[in-house]
Amino acid sequence: MRIDRQPDGSFLLSEVDPPFDHVLRSIPACADTADNDAASGRIYPNPVSGKGSGELCNEWREFVEPELRHLFEDAMATVEADLEQLSEVNTTVAVPARHVDAWLNALNQARLALAARFEITEEDLDRRPRQIETERDFAVFEIDFFAFIQENLLQEP
Amino acid sequence: MTETTTVTESKTDAALSVPWNVVVHNDPINLMSYVTMVFKRVFGFSADKARKHMLEVHQAGRSILWTGERERAEFYVQQLHSFLLLATMERAGE
Repeated sequence: MRIDRQPDGSFLLSEVDPPFDHVLRSIPACADTADNDAASGRIYPNPVSGKGSGELCNEWREFVEPELRHLFEDAMATVEADLEQLSEVNTTVAVPARHVDAWLNALNQARLALAARFEITEEDLDRRPRQIETERDFAVFEIDFFAFIQENLLQEP
Repeated sequence: MTETTTVTESKTDAALSVPWNVVVHNDPINLMSYVTMVFKRVFGFSADKARKHMLEVHQAGRSILWTGERERAEFYVQQLHSFLLLATMERAGE
């Protein structure tokens, strides 16, 4: 798979062959926090800790978290729509410049939720060579792969 | 004769006037380049200042990004959460 920045700030993800097309399409599932408290706690952390923080945290849950949830869902919907370009005959995804922030957000959701769900540590990410034998190993691969895309999207022209 | 007016600051007023720190905590999953970008975007930092705070988060585990009134601190924490950074607010000096 290749990622190339275009002069207008857009990106082309090309040569998205199997299994990378499948991994890209799994971004929403990777980011899903519905069934996992650790993932949910990481995507929606408390804004304050310690003594007397209860009231602020309760207000945060009521007023701020729904806005964040909406923002994250919007970002994911943008990425899902872009990935609709992929088909049996088309292995290229064009990401307009105005969608780059959504991609960065959605990829980060996926990476953080995966890391929380599988308790991935810095040592897991540094370990070489990679072996994919378990679901947890595959989660590390996905975190790495999504990071590769993020790093490319973050590069200055 | 001069009139003297005594103003009593209520406990609530005193609490509201205490400055708050906006703190970002380390998360090894977040890319350093991403964290730097977020600091530039949210706080308007130069590249050098953003990188300095990113390295402090990375090496010390946390960095105080801003200090000031509570409402503004809440705004910044919300912004940082929207970028999925681990951010909290705390009373300055605690």
